Amino acid sequence: MSRIFAIAWKDLRSTMRNVPALAMMLAAPLALSALLGFAFGGGGNFSISATKVAVADLDAPVFTSSSGVASSSAGQTVVGILKSPQLKDILQVSEKPIAAARRSVDGGKAAAAVIIPADFSSVIFSTSSTTPRTAIELYENPTQGIGGSITESIVDQALLELNGARAAAQAAAAVATANGRSHDQAVQKAIKTFVGQGGSSGVAVVQRPPQLGGKKSKDVGITGLVLAGMMVFFMFFGASNVARTILTEERNGTLPRLFTTPTPRRVILGGKFASTYLTVLAQAVIIVVAGRLFFAIDWGALDVVALLILAAAAVASSLGLLVISIVRTPAQAGAIGAGVYLVLGLLGGSFTGTAQSGTTYATVERLTPNGWLLVGWDRALRGGGAADIVWPVLIPLVFAVVFFALAVFRFRRRFA
Amino acid sequence: MSIVEVQELRKQYDPPKGVLAVDGVSFDIAQGEIFSLLGPNGAGKSTTISMLSCLLHPSGGDALVDGHSVVTDSQAVKEAIGVVPQDIALYPDMSARENLVFWGKMYGLAGGELQTRVDEVLELITLVDRQKDRLEKFSGGMKRRVNIGVALLHKPRVLYLDEPTVGIDPQSRRSILDGILALRDQGMTILYTTHYMAEAQELSDRIGIVDHGAMIAVGTNDELVKIVGEEAHVDLRVDHYLDGMVERWAQVLGVTKAMIDEDHAVLLVQDANEVLPRLFEAAAAAGSRITEVNVTEPNLEMVFLHLTGRALRE
Repeated sequence: MSRIFAIAWKDLRSTMRNVPALAMMLAAPLALSALLGFAFGGGGNFSISATKVAVADLDAPVFTSSSGVASSSAGQTVVGILKSPQLKDILQVSEKPIAAARRSVDGGKAAAAVIIPADFSSVIFSTSSTTPRTAIELYENPTQGIGGSITESIVDQALLELNGARAAAQAAAAVATANGRSHDQAVQKAIKTFVGQGGSSGVAVVQRPPQLGGKKSKDVGITGLVLAGMMVFFMFFGASNVARTILTEERNGTLPRLFTTPTPRRVILGGKFASTYLTVLAQAVIIVVAGRLFFAIDWGALDVVALLILAAAAVASSLGLLVISIVRTPAQAGAIGAGVYLVLGLLGGSFTGTAQSGTTYATVERLTPNGWLLVGWDRALRGGGAADIVWPVLIPLVFAVVFFALAVFRFRRRFA
Repeated sequence: MSIVEVQELRKQYDPPKGVLAVDGVSFDIAQGEIFSLLGPNGAGKSTTISMLSCLLHPSGGDALVDGHSVVTDSQAVKEAIGVVPQDIALYPDMSARENLVFWGKMYGLAGGELQTRVDEVLELITLVDRQKDRLEKFSGGMKRRVNIGVALLHKPRVLYLDEPTVGIDPQSRRSILDGILALRDQGMTILYTTHYMAEAQELSDRIGIVDHGAMIAVGTNDELVKIVGEEAHVDLRVDHYLDGMVERWAQVLGVTKAMIDEDHAVLLVQDANEVLPRLFEAAAAAGSRITEVNVTEPNLEMVFLHLTGRALRE
């Protein structure tokens, strides 16, 4: 056992002296997470901050108070949706004249300007069978992160609701017409009713936190998820980097020399596995601690975090050994390993986060150890307990056992 | 009494059609003896050492090292041997001491015994003052000394040295050769491979000459030299017409062998004093002029030439 630790300690010390390797293992995931956090519009703890939106509502009401319902316009309905209390954490809306709205975007004071045309209500309330067309203009600065996309998505949702209401009104009007009222009056009445109620209650984005083990889960900051993905991704690279010392030692003659000593080959390879495992374990611990200190990430319960790190280190180091057992040179290890880890990272959601269960992407994610680990980290970040991460820990461990067995088989043939 | 007994050792890569690197080699080494395997590059010396180190599994035959079979009892063999590989096999980012401590652990040493042996070996390789320096800062000769020191940590009964003086300066070479002789004087058995004739002649109690994977002669230096009898080795250069001259010289009385080695002729002659004038006469008769003559008394180079028809360095 002491020989295993002697080999592991030698490799660990060698890795700690290798500045480029350390940069790749530790600095890269932290830096990428910070960059992605900023890209998503965050600062501080990198949660998504409210997007500033300037609204120029040029729309004029088409009904008067004498028509039986409160005077209103479809444009005000859209403005109401944008200003709804449910969206106050996402959008910070200010109404401005059209020129001022555009200047806000040009000057970087707003991520987007929503310009509602003057004929908006007349188109929405049109009773013509051939509906005239108009468009809400979304004036956005593409360099201002994803704020414009969020605004566009919400406006799209509002329009969808308005068009849906219009279709429903047409159907209701058909019934009313059959009861003796004119078609146009029936349509307008129905739409007026919707518009009169709309905005604050009819159309809204409601955020509901997901349930975890029957409990309400915590809100999850984006940086935690991003860093978890990056950590898992770069742990594979870290493991590969250490496992690659087998090839380097083979090339430099130290591995054959080790084989001439009384230390059994299984102990030598065990030492190599131990050094790989301990290195990625240390890598994960450092990243988790750094995430806590620098980004204030609440990773979740300590036992859950420990289990996830242990499982991730096991699967990363065993896959690193498997790749090394297949290739012949350090250069091959770099090229093939990078390809394997990149594909696993892409399929496993290291760059996109975990997919919603039941989707095709979620199924693909669950075919990779990365995907399961990220499901585990997602649950840990949302306050899940050990019972919530049984499968996200067990399945990567099964992957680890299979990878390790294959690597041992390959090494036994290679160094027999 | 033999401490190493090699019996029909054979190694073929990718049988049945692969390269036959070692073809039924047999020899033995007595306790406390320096035995050299002498042969050109690619002769099978390193492959033989690899099999005796249990690094390669023999395709046939066996060898007993300290009474243990390299085929069936490799663990015991590894405990009895120390191996100095041809290339420096150490960790350059570790200090000399860190290297020795690590390798000592791999040889099963621990605690106070390990530290004591590391100190002794550092004294032996005269690197006590530089023990804390990383190997990457060492000269080639110093690295070679650490490379040898590693193999001495566990006091092996047999030391294998695979061309340990390749690519180093004359001073370091001298130091290493003196060190090897000192180890022999302390009773260590040494298997040494080289393609330098002078090293084999100086160091060895006995020499095995290897070529194309086969042992072509074994014996002491004197015994091997007797193979070529009293023949002297004559190197000749001419101003032109070398090919034709070699054919003519081969017919001269007293010349037993004549061949071309790159840009000069190599002749084995029975009595150089008698034969040389005839060689000059033959050259003059052919219209050539001899520009350089070198006469060498019988040695291992000539033995190799005699046995294989090729110079040792080829």
